[in-house]
Amino acid sequence: MNRYFFYNFMLVSLMNLMLFVPHILVKNRYSGGVSALIAAPVIGAILMYMFTSAMARYPGLGYPEILKKYCPRWLVSLTSVYFAIMWWFSSTIVVVAYAVLINRFFNPDANTTVILIMMVLAAAYAASRSTLTIAFIIEIGIIVNAPIILFIMFKMVRSPQLNFDSIRVIANYVTVMPTVITLAAATLIFTGYIHLALFNRLFPPNFRFKHLYVYPILGFIILLITFFVPIGFHGTEGVDRYIYLWAVTSDSLIMQYGFIERVIFLFLIVFLNLTLVYTMSGWHLGMEYIKSCFKACKPEIDSPKAPKANYIILAVFATATVLYLIFTNEKINYLITSYWLVLRMFTEIVGVLWVFILSRRRLKPE
Amino acid sequence: MNERIRLLFAEAADLKTYTLSNSTMSIEIAYIAPLCDEKMISDFITVPFTKEEIPYRKQLDTIPEYLKIEDPARWQDLMLRGNVLIKDIDSGEIFSFFTGDVICNESPQTQVESAIQGPQIALSEDLNKSMNLIRTMYPAPEVAVEEYSVGYISKTPLLVVFDQRHVDPSVLDNVRSKLSSISIDMVHAAGELEKLLIGKRRHLFPTVLITERPDRIAKSLSKGKVVVLIKGSMFALIMPVSFFDFMHAIEDNYEAYWMTRTLIVIRYLSIILTITLPALYIAIVSYNPELFRVQLAFSIAASRSAVPYPSYIEVFVMLFMIEALIEASIRLPRYIGSTATTVGGLILGQAAQQAGLVSSIMIIVTSVVAISNFVIPINSLSFSVRFLKYPLIAASIFFGISGVAVGLFLYVSYLCNLRSFGKPYFRLHGKVNPAEGDVGQVRAK
Repeated sequence: MNRYFFYNFMLVSLMNLMLFVPHILVKNRYSGGVSALIAAPVIGAILMYMFTSAMARYPGLGYPEILKKYCPRWLVSLTSVYFAIMWWFSSTIVVVAYAVLINRFFNPDANTTVILIMMVLAAAYAASRSTLTIAFIIEIGIIVNAPIILFIMFKMVRSPQLNFDSIRVIANYVTVMPTVITLAAATLIFTGYIHLALFNRLFPPNFRFKHLYVYPILGFIILLITFFVPIGFHGTEGVDRYIYLWAVTSDSLIMQYGFIERVIFLFLIVFLNLTLVYTMSGWHLGMEYIKSCFKACKPEIDSPKAPKANYIILAVFATATVLYLIFTNEKINYLITSYWLVLRMFTEIVGVLWVFILSRRRLKPE
Repeated sequence: MNERIRLLFAEAADLKTYTLSNSTMSIEIAYIAPLCDEKMISDFITVPFTKEEIPYRKQLDTIPEYLKIEDPARWQDLMLRGNVLIKDIDSGEIFSFFTGDVICNESPQTQVESAIQGPQIALSEDLNKSMNLIRTMYPAPEVAVEEYSVGYISKTPLLVVFDQRHVDPSVLDNVRSKLSSISIDMVHAAGELEKLLIGKRRHLFPTVLITERPDRIAKSLSKGKVVVLIKGSMFALIMPVSFFDFMHAIEDNYEAYWMTRTLIVIRYLSIILTITLPALYIAIVSYNPELFRVQLAFSIAASRSAVPYPSYIEVFVMLFMIEALIEASIRLPRYIGSTATTVGGLILGQAAQQAGLVSSIMIIVTSVVAISNFVIPINSLSFSVRFLKYPLIAASIFFGISGVAVGLFLYVSYLCNLRSFGKPYFRLHGKVNPAEGDVGQVRAK
């Protein structure tokens, strides 16, 4: 059942393109961006090993249930609400960014709010399903879309327009120490394991995590491509002019054979699917965290009918997202995102350490 | 007894009641003539009774087919199912004797799910003959058969067949409780029973597989599925099933490996085409013509130059025509059917394009949609897939390509959300390590 873990990891690491990670890294390419690429896999791998080893001790339990065993209720509820807001926000950034992206690249005369409402409704419907269903949807989303992303990446890396000189120039800045923001951006790629906080409920008791070494390597490769391919296409200076860096980069390619000529359309459709899947999973996690605050709610992984609480929580999430689009613009969104990335990194470290220490402490008295 | 029976039934000319007597005893017999085999009645009841080679009373006591009836409330029901009621006037005991003779098709050929290789014989409308086929193809002592009947008026007999070793007990319980909770007057077709078993009034996808092939049933039994046979219908229901079972033709097991894999890929491609193509046509023509390479975009635009209205009206016109054509050719008698397709498909399509009502590309789109739909091996899925294109068309009218993508995402989520008798319907089956267990097993009840 390791594949369900793998899909979550892949989903988050591919979604980095929508969370402005390449843009933040590229902006700091002279001030610590490159060394963050090397530091991030190490940090990510350590956190992931700690988290998976901790969660493996509690088969069938989610993060809130584990905390409830050791900590007072109010603390657990507070943490859960905080995590829920973090998850809601990560999805909101992505879906809002994508709604703007559709407006920029697909239908320039369409209304962004209307597009966002459509996407939000679809994601909310999917998120209101059971956790098991969510796991299946993520699986299908990754299996359908990952080959196309691999194809696009392959085309990019093999493209004659990719200038290795500029890549080498930037790579030489590896000696500059990483900053907090670059680390926060780069570690996002490895953060997919944190989905386990709730998907752990699905895993059977005898489940073992296998091949964990694959994840840092895979993440590192994705990170390298994310960072260096745009530099190779746009040059060392031109690269930081674009906020939607990868959409523009994919537009530099054409496919000579086949119906579709511009790669950007393929890229946009694939990332539309991934955005929806990511938004769905993020909102589902947020919803489950909020539900875990209430005493009456028992964690249920495959209820035949979605409880009413799901719809209420998701309606709040969806409305908040639409309001977020109305009250912010791209600039503010970008700024808030970079703060969110930093906050996320520290939250993650604290959260992982917390559950890790709890899991070790249980062993001692027995 | 006979007076009472005449009171129980409405005035019916085919209700036969006689009183017979020989040297030692006298009996009353009652039956409904069309439901019974008169030859059997004379061979087993009247002739032995009058010949008196063996005392008839002894026959009633020894032959196991004569069932003793204690409860008068069962009389009506027994007679309506083709039993003869016999009353020994001296002792007052009542026996029933089955002489049912129900008209049904005699071991028909497969018609709906035909295969070039593999058995050509289909299930029969008679339960015994169907069970004969199934038991012959799956001769295992573990096959369990349970009898049910549904419908207050029709009292349709059902058989629930499963392999005791492999069957999932939770699924079996689910099927049993669903069957016993059905409350309806009449059930005559497998599809009707399917709806009642699912319990949802509106369902988009079939979650029960309806088949006429005994080899498919035997295979399903070996996989631990539950099969329900219904009297009077030559189709059986298999449950639980996944979406991928519907895309699997039985011949994929019999033919060469690589070609069948290719065929499966082609089937999935065509299901995607038949769902998305009309919506994509609208999205590309009306929103993003630049999606295609320039030459193709120009040729599409040129073929549409004579068409005076927006693309979605064109799509609606053509889809209406093709759906009407398919519907007509199914309902029409077989001799007229081919005429309808020729007139509709060839002449009307060609003329509509020349008249400038639709573009020639749209004709291609329509035929691809129709042909790809027929590729799906199981008819019930093919039927539900026919509907799926319309919501996508609506989405593409308002949102273009992004609408189509969001619509497809919704379909996938809906499919993943479906459960067939508690089992996931749309789940990619990878290797499951039995020592580790399956996802979601922890809390499964």
